[in-house]
Amino acid sequence: MNELLTSAVAGLTAGGTYALLGVCAVFTYRLVAVVNFTGAAIGTAGTFVLIALYEAGFPLWPSVLAGVVAGTIVGVLVGLVMTTWFSEANASTKAAVTVALLVGMIAIGLRLTGGQHPHVMPDLFPGSAFRLAGVEVTIASALTIGLAVLFTVLADRFLNATRTGLHLRALSERPMAAELLGVRVQLLSVLVWAVTGTFTTFALMIIAPQRSPNFMTLSLLVVPALAAALVGLFRSFWITLAGGIMLGVVEGLASSFDGVSQYRGAIPFVVVVAVLLWSQREARWDDAR
Amino acid sequence: MMRASVRASLAIVVTAVVLGGALIGLLSSYWVFLGTAVLITGVALQSLGLVVGRTGMIALCQMSFAGVGAWTVGYLNIVGAPGGLSVWVLLGGLAAVPFGVAIGLPALRLRGINLAIVTLAFATAFDTILATITFPGQTSFQAVPRPELFDSDEGYFVFVLGFYVTIAVALEFVSRSRLGAAWLTVRHSERAAAAHGVSIAAAKLSAFALSAFVAGISGGLLAGYLGTLVSENFSMMQSLSLFAVAVMAGAHYSEGAVIGGLLVTMFPEILRRLGLPQDIGNVLFAVGATQALSTGETMSETFRRLARKLVPSRGPNGKPPQPASLPAPVMHAAGAALSIENLGVRYGSVVALDKVSLAVPAGTVVGLIGPNGAGKSTFIDAVTGFLPLYYGRISLEGKLLEGVQAHRRARLGVRRSWQTNRIAPELTVGQYLRLAADGLSDADIAAVLAWLDCPHPDTPVASVDAGTRRLLDVAGVLASRPAVALLDEPAAGQSYEETLRLGKRIAEIPKLFGSAVLLVEHDMDLVRAACSHIAVLDFGKVIASGPPAQVLAETVVKTAYLGVEAEEAAA
Repeated sequence: MNELLTSAVAGLTAGGTYALLGVCAVFTYRLVAVVNFTGAAIGTAGTFVLIALYEAGFPLWPSVLAGVVAGTIVGVLVGLVMTTWFSEANASTKAAVTVALLVGMIAIGLRLTGGQHPHVMPDLFPGSAFRLAGVEVTIASALTIGLAVLFTVLADRFLNATRTGLHLRALSERPMAAELLGVRVQLLSVLVWAVTGTFTTFALMIIAPQRSPNFMTLSLLVVPALAAALVGLFRSFWITLAGGIMLGVVEGLASSFDGVSQYRGAIPFVVVVAVLLWSQREARWDDAR
Repeated sequence: MMRASVRASLAIVVTAVVLGGALIGLLSSYWVFLGTAVLITGVALQSLGLVVGRTGMIALCQMSFAGVGAWTVGYLNIVGAPGGLSVWVLLGGLAAVPFGVAIGLPALRLRGINLAIVTLAFATAFDTILATITFPGQTSFQAVPRPELFDSDEGYFVFVLGFYVTIAVALEFVSRSRLGAAWLTVRHSERAAAAHGVSIAAAKLSAFALSAFVAGISGGLLAGYLGTLVSENFSMMQSLSLFAVAVMAGAHYSEGAVIGGLLVTMFPEILRRLGLPQDIGNVLFAVGATQALSTGETMSETFRRLARKLVPSRGPNGKPPQPASLPAPVMHAAGAALSIENLGVRYGSVVALDKVSLAVPAGTVVGLIGPNGAGKSTFIDAVTGFLPLYYGRISLEGKLLEGVQAHRRARLGVRRSWQTNRIAPELTVGQYLRLAADGLSDADIAAVLAWLDCPHPDTPVASVDAGTRRLLDVAGVLASRPAVALLDEPAAGQSYEETLRLGKRIAEIPKLFGSAVLLVEHDMDLVRAACSHIAVLDFGKVIASGPPAQVLAETVVKTAYLGVEAEEAAA
């Protein structure tokens, strides 16, 4: 029993990261109408700036700051591509663009970081935060989940209670109409990309020591992130948050069973299929078409 | 249509024989070996083009399907199944089909983005599974043997070329069939496809299953090409990169698949010879795909456009088949063709339709008029099954339509035209009519088109102006000779003379096609010319109905519709 709890708790760091990435995906979708496949890759780029600086002998925390800034910049760059050329494109085209960008980013990332070459990823927050029913909860997991909750609260409040949030919602529905109303569409959109870039970078820095820090593996964390976002049907921040944490916990649990553990990577797929089958009961026609 | 498919297929076969022969005859074995890789990638790209190019969905696990095919071939080799590689390859393709269907199913009704997510998740899952179970024969070094006849590099090239050409020709026929037209229409507008009686689920699933089959074949061919395989051959990154190439090159064209295959195979080769790292290729594909998405034009389309500039086309070829006579009308039962009782629709707190009752007797044209926002289009949406919820009873020839899906209603004989243009521009006029009305002869199609002054069947829809597309929409509805045709403002975009002519035509519809008509229109001259009975809708309620002359004279109608103030109207 205690063993199960241990493995479940061990999945919390991953769960918090999935949740944060998932909430960022929902944030991006609701505000700029893009299903973003590059989410994790943006954070990975920032993380590798940290790794490069750290390996070059720079002190840790300034490197972290530089990494977060770099991740934000990469997010803004992706945002500029999307707003400059694809602001009026349909959702499917935008998603296809981010897939293409993901291919390019992984290729560049693998080239610059030397492919599968092992890197030293500093553990930013080693140690245990507190004990839960006799099981150590690490600072990293408490931090990712805390960050995910913070982002969820902020996103929820921002969207539902501020004027800018209202503007952004208008923007995602009808960019042209929002522009005619005097909303500074491009600036706001790029801000959204910048904010999600910052948060995902930080999340990836926390989870990177647990994974093999290789550009592709980390970029593909977008899969559980989008699975979490689907659990929230790309609408609800809170359900996405819960979905992400649950996904991490299930993965943690699965790792404690022989015969199942090597198939852990298939869990997001199972979740996605289940959610889609469940949500298909309604929603018949595409609004726009 | 058939002739066009045969022509295109002949072109593919002749090109393949000439280029393939030249490659084998002129170049060394090394280049032939690379050429085989181009074709195998080409087969995978064709499978992707089917989903991405034709139905407009995003599929990110094509190499996983190929992996299923390759794994099956490896397994059949280990157990010593009879038939040899050519049979195993086909079985590998078939093995991938259930995977394709199972992944397509959950993404059917929702937007294409969900398919992107589910396929990407499947690619990840497949990666982990394949890494664990490994390929049959991978550890015991049991290579997949090539067929004896095609064992050399040149021989295997011919073997693969045979598969490539067969698939290309088959896809050529399918794409020009009604199924192919249905795919393009689904990509353009799911509603329009359903209005022609196309089941969206069946159209998407068939595309996905066929695509998985072809991808599985490419995997099997790769197994014979390399002999032994490792899971990296089919990793998710391969699928993603293949997607980018498909978008960039336009993989739903047979030359696009070869261009893509060349890019995937030759680019690393060139980079290698230049001493540059080979993974730069993916960066190029990403940029190329982004560029293609932003201009909306793939490489194949660019080449085709340039080719058309160089060699001006002869225009629609051939004389139109003599538009002798229209297809015979379909006899429908007398009595009320369509009858609506107490129809109500709400959008939140807004009442769009309130207890509307209306009957369209067989053999008549009934007009439905009313100011903008009166609920006319909502009425058509409810009758044709495009609203999730309404109250009241709708019956077609006495049969209740409650709970019947839109495409089934269309098949039963409730057909509609649209206010906005929803015809897929990639189709020709003739293909569109064949989609709308299954089983018509070329002469019948030409006759219906001529009757409505529509262009020649070989004309691409893209070159037809907006007003004429309206008529084309009507022609499609009529060609299927439904029990009831609901026409939503067919005269919008027509000149005054054309409108009068259209009015006369619409009045003849019951006699010539056997269909009853419900006409929604703003143009009063058209309504007077065509309708024997009209109903006026205002704020979701029927405020008057009867013969046109009488109804249009009523004060309440003038006030509501013609914007005349009550006292003016009375005066």
